Amino acid sequence: MHATIQKPIDEIVSFIKPGEKVFVVGCNNCAWKCHSGGEDETRKMAERLIKRGVDVVGYSVPGPQGMSLCKLSNTRQVLQENYKEQVNKADSFLVLACGQGVHTVIDATDGALVHPGCDTIFGGETVSENEIEEFCSLCGECIIEYTGGLCPMTLCAKQLLNGPCGGAENGHCEVDEERPCGWIMIYERLKKLGRLELIEGYLGPKNNAKWSRPRSLRVSPTEATFCSIAGRITVSNQD
Amino acid sequence: MKLTDLFKEDIFVVTGEVGPIKGALSRDKSKVPQCVKEAELLKDHVHAVNVTDNQSAVMRLGSMFASVGLKNRGIEPIYQLTCRDRNRIALQSDLLTAYSFGIDNVLLLTGDHIQLGDHKEAKPVFDLDSVQLIKMARKLNEGYDLTGNKLENPIDMALGAVVNPNFEPLELQLLKMKKKVDAGAEFFQTQAVYDEGVLERFMNLASRFNRPIQLGVVVLKSPQMGNFMNKNVSGISVPQAWIDEIGSVDKADRKKKAAEMMGRFIGKVKHMVQGVHIMPLGWSDIVPKILEYAEIEAKQAA
Ligand code: SF4
Ligand code: SF4
Repeated sequence: MHATIQKPIDEIVSFIKPGEKVFVVGCNNCAWKCHSGGEDETRKMAERLIKRGVDVVGYSVPGPQGMSLCKLSNTRQVLQENYKEQVNKADSFLVLACGQGVHTVIDATDGALVHPGCDTIFGGETVSENEIEEFCSLCGECIIEYTGGLCPMTLCAKQLLNGPCGGAENGHCEVDEERPCGWIMIYERLKKLGRLELIEGYLGPKNNAKWSRPRSLRVSPTEATFCSIAGRITVSNQD
Repeated sequence: MKLTDLFKEDIFVVTGEVGPIKGALSRDKSKVPQCVKEAELLKDHVHAVNVTDNQSAVMRLGSMFASVGLKNRGIEPIYQLTCRDRNRIALQSDLLTAYSFGIDNVLLLTGDHIQLGDHKEAKPVFDLDSVQLIKMARKLNEGYDLTGNKLENPIDMALGAVVNPNFEPLELQLLKMKKKVDAGAEFFQTQAVYDEGVLERFMNLASRFNRPIQLGVVVLKSPQMGNFMNKNVSGISVPQAWIDEIGSVDKADRKKKAAEMMGRFIGKVKHMVQGVHIMPLGWSDIVPKILEYAEIEAKQAA
């Protein structure tokens, strides 16, 4: 899931010109889980804006609970059909979702003006109803087979691939004493699993080309093509 | 002069350390920067002087320029190079340049995180880690760049690395040390150690790598500094007995006391290591006294 937090209301209001008619859009999946743009927060945002004198022409969280705003076909249908009248009146769309969701609204409205209502902070695991943790930095070249499934690109503040820096203190990272050192976590886990030999091997430098932006993916039921500045990489899911 | 040549001759290698100034070199030649003054004090007593690379992520004069400056004054520099601020292109290019300027020794490190420094919003680079950096430097020594392209002239530098004997779990630190050895590290300097037992336990396990190890010591200047390091400097722990002892004398006598304490400790443990790396943090003037207390003959055969 994409973790998001709402921008401060004053910043959001500063995006909107006097007299601008705004339609507020939320997301019923990730932003709902983050309480940054679910049904309650979207309705409330409309109210908060109205209270501050913004001309809000409508709001919507397209689709049932669990539906992602970034699913373009659904978002387009809801905005263009169910909310046609209000959407047509809108000068702009305030989107309470991640950056993908913001772009989905651009596509769903054929290029309308959008305002981001959230900061998108990371992709994470929904550990519990009130805890979202980041475990993957989406690097495009996964090496966690060699680190016991724990990602040093994400859990180590310096993204070290071959073991810890010298800075950990009492098991905590030198950067943040609230956080455990990612490399000590990897070590403890592999020790428990009896697989310490996994981190004895040398890991070479990452291919950052796979991580450079922008990237895209073309998929079919049997094949996928990952496009980045590293080139086009086609993989099959068949024997 | 490569440090590795000294180790080969079984010389107990003594090194010091200076941090480049926060600012540029003045065009007014009469203004000698503090780091040069400190290095001059070390000159006749140590084999070489480390020059830190934007230490603690605080932006300063470049370690390469400062290293060259020392070299020109007849002081052997150990050029420190970290992964924090440079990608693999810059790291390689800087090593080629440093060698071209006459620098023979390089200490290859990960680097403190940007969060510890004075530009907290900068982009951390860490394109390579220290193991990959060492391997990269070895390739440059062998005449090839990281992607295997042949160099017109290879470099020929002694490759140093760091290790932290205080690290818990030590087994994990040793695992990384082994990777550094395999990657091409030729000598090690340790993080500051104040405890004989910690050093002994570490040396018993690390000697199997057959690489010279210099004990690192940071001069303890005051009880406040001890408490500060325990609280804020990652990977160093100062025992209470040290803090009490330096606190037992008046401020005016602290330099003398510090020299005595550091020297006594080094003298006691020197048989375990192949050299000592003294980080005086500005108190370069007491280094000769420290060595005297430790009964280390200044710059033997240097
Ligand atoms: S190695 Fe890359 S893909 Fe794998 S978990 Fe880490 S960031 Fe994600
Ligand atoms: S202390 Fe651990 S997590 Fe933090 S930067 Fe060093 S190795 Fe990475």
